[in-house]
Amino acid sequence: MKSLLSVVFYLASLTALAAPPQRVVSLGGPLTEVIYALNAGDRLVGDDASSLYPPAATKLPQVGYYRAFSVEGVVALHPDLVLASDQAGPPAAMAQLKQLGVKVVVLPAGATLDALEQRVHGVATALGLPDDGGKMVATIRQQVTALTATPSNVRALFVMNRSGKLEGAGKESTADAMLALAGARNVLAAQTGYKPLSAEAALSLAPDAIVTTRMSIDASGGLQRFLALPGVAGTPAARNGRVVVMDDLLLLGFGPRLPEALKTLKAGLDAPSPAAAK
Amino acid sequence: MLLLALLACLLLLALIAAAHGAVAIPLHALPRLLLAHDLTEQEQLWRNVLVQIRLPRVALAIVAGGGLTVTGTAMQALFRNPLAEPGLIGIASGGALGAVAAIVLGAPGLFWLTPAAFIGSLAATALCYQLGQRRPGMSSLLLAGVAINVICGSIIGLFTYVADDAQLRSLTFWNMGSLAGATWTQLAFLGPWTLALSLLLLREWRALNALLLGEREAQHLGFALNPLRRRLIVLVALIVGPLVAATGVIGFVGLVVPHLVRLSLGADHRWLLPNTLVAGAIALSLADWLARVVVIPAELPIGIVTSLIGGPFFLWILTRRVA
Amino acid sequence: MLRAENLCCGRHGVAVLRGVSLTLQPGQLLGVLGANGAGKSTLLATLAGELPAMSGSLTLHNQPLSQMRPAAQARCRGVLPQSPSLAFELPVRAVVGTGAYPFPEVSPAQLEHLIDRALVLADASHLASRRYTALSGGEQQRIQFARVLTQVLAHRAAGDYRALLLDEPTASLDPKHQWLLLQTVAQLARDEGLAVLVILHDVNLAAQWCDQLLLLAGGSVVAHGPPDAVLTPAAMMSVYGMAAQVVMHPVDARRRMVCFVG
Repeated sequence: MKSLLSVVFYLASLTALAAPPQRVVSLGGPLTEVIYALNAGDRLVGDDASSLYPPAATKLPQVGYYRAFSVEGVVALHPDLVLASDQAGPPAAMAQLKQLGVKVVVLPAGATLDALEQRVHGVATALGLPDDGGKMVATIRQQVTALTATPSNVRALFVMNRSGKLEGAGKESTADAMLALAGARNVLAAQTGYKPLSAEAALSLAPDAIVTTRMSIDASGGLQRFLALPGVAGTPAARNGRVVVMDDLLLLGFGPRLPEALKTLKAGLDAPSPAAAK
Repeated sequence: MLLLALLACLLLLALIAAAHGAVAIPLHALPRLLLAHDLTEQEQLWRNVLVQIRLPRVALAIVAGGGLTVTGTAMQALFRNPLAEPGLIGIASGGALGAVAAIVLGAPGLFWLTPAAFIGSLAATALCYQLGQRRPGMSSLLLAGVAINVICGSIIGLFTYVADDAQLRSLTFWNMGSLAGATWTQLAFLGPWTLALSLLLLREWRALNALLLGEREAQHLGFALNPLRRRLIVLVALIVGPLVAATGVIGFVGLVVPHLVRLSLGADHRWLLPNTLVAGAIALSLADWLARVVVIPAELPIGIVTSLIGGPFFLWILTRRVA
Repeated sequence: MLRAENLCCGRHGVAVLRGVSLTLQPGQLLGVLGANGAGKSTLLATLAGELPAMSGSLTLHNQPLSQMRPAAQARCRGVLPQSPSLAFELPVRAVVGTGAYPFPEVSPAQLEHLIDRALVLADASHLASRRYTALSGGEQQRIQFARVLTQVLAHRAAGDYRALLLDEPTASLDPKHQWLLLQTVAQLARDEGLAVLVILHDVNLAAQWCDQLLLLAGGSVVAHGPPDAVLTPAAMMSVYGMAAQVVMHPVDARRRMVCFVG
């Protein structure tokens, strides 16, 4: 993994020595967000269906979802650089893209501070903006360190409603990483990934706070209905109105807005009589 | 006559599909791109897109469409039922189970996905056949197929529960079926394999016609039923198994196209089989072409296109026939 | 020749009929009579190679039937079962043409000629251009009859043995076509040397056309011989459980007629 990354950085630095790329395609929402944060959004000629922030990203031609993108769609945009998440695929499509001589830089998608820094560095170097990238990484690191200095120590549950049923986040999920950074303790640490939430288990875990996303609240039919859902109603969190609702991409994007996301999350978790629930 | 018309249609469609896509290549440039050596930079890009992405894909659509459809036709005759298709005897669900197991049990890389899917489809079909042998007649084979499909489905569900987010997405992608990622290496095997086995299936036209009369009648006409059934099922599994492994589950083509050709041509398998082979190739090429071009520069999953077109078309044919 | 000696037949291990001995002679029509459930169709299915003989011997050209491949059997025996069906719309000529499947050596031209002849013999030439599934039950029956005629006439050299097994071929036919069918069968038996076994319910039709009759009742053979010899009031009573009188045919004094009186 380390050696792969160093190769990526090597390739990226080679790219930086040549003229900076002017036609960039991004495969993965977090990368798109970094590109815009580096003020290089005008160089993007296309992105994928997961690129929803900033809103300008949704106006660009989209080459499909980054895990099932169209090779031809990318090629048709005549890119001189493709920035791809390491989750982009299918693998055959990535291989074809490289075969066609398109310059591809692959960056880690992980929900860790290290991966975020590598993403920012990688994108910045590939775009010929290594100094801006360095500055951004330094800012993020400094702000996150300040925020993590005071752990929340709340027993928290993250739930999300994607398909009509509540799913809880266990370890190795982005939501778990966010809770950890905020210093909260994930009550579902015994499970891995997103799994359907058992109402009984949720009651017995008795979380002090529930974290969820704006889309999940909408999918549940509003906050009142959400609070009445089995597994939510009856928990100390619901009784005390300690429910933190955050924008999906802000909470789970793990991009340059990480400090802002952490600040909002901590504010919600630490509020004595939370305003977010009202 | 119809066969020649269909072949011409397929050729024309293949040309259009080769020229048309997210990267627009003029039709008249095709021969030059394939033959000339002094290409401009633009032409070099066209040629790469054509040779490395589009042609393998068009070829895979033809091979998979033909294979899925000709086996669908044989299955409908074997079961004497217009709703039969290769999936009935566990080929697709077994393949899906194999692929899902490979993804979730974390086979290194995605290399094992194709062999696992192939092994899964053959194993499910073999199990189905073994269980179906216990009693005479086709109904026990059919019931064994239903049970195997349910069991495979539930194990897939179990794997889905265990899977992490990234694995889930690979699963969904595989389950929807796709012709993207076709390579010449893959086709060098799939093409001759599918063609050779399809030709063996075409030779069974007399047996399939005899089965239309009934199983007793087929036996009276000199066909040994059990060896015949085994032969047909083995051929179908050997054709469809690798296709499912290569493209994922592409539904509806093997069900609708035989029905359409039968409506226009009658059920004489001597003509029905070769015509469905070509018509299936046309149907899937058309579906893949549409999948590639309707939402440029993105693509639709091919399974959605085949069902979206096939479903209403099927209904239209049915209502028209009643009227 | 198809020959059964002391044959015992049945389904799923349950014997239905015992002690049947018969030989299907070239040029002869053997009629099989019996009440419902007497085992007529089981006998036919056994002779057709669908069911294994439970005991006794069943041979074709002195070779046990069970040891012959279906393809070899099909070259010297055609079978017309009851209630024919067709899963999909096969053209009428293709249905009739399936009869030639055991004979791949038949050329396309010969096949066309053969199909024409079989359709004429079954009085079904005018049905050739119709859709099979649009035909009536009796018309479909005649098409199926033409199919088995194709099979027993295909690629036949003089002296070749061909057996024809018919299970109630007249069931859905009108009186004229019942008559025509049996007349055709009798004529083919005479002219082409076919060996025919036919299951019938109409005693008088059987008496008129068959050379030999086999009467079944109570799981065994009640009588076996020429119609005049076996069609007696006593035999009718044991086969059908009905009183009957045997009278002279009003038109042809040499023939007998059975009148059931209750």
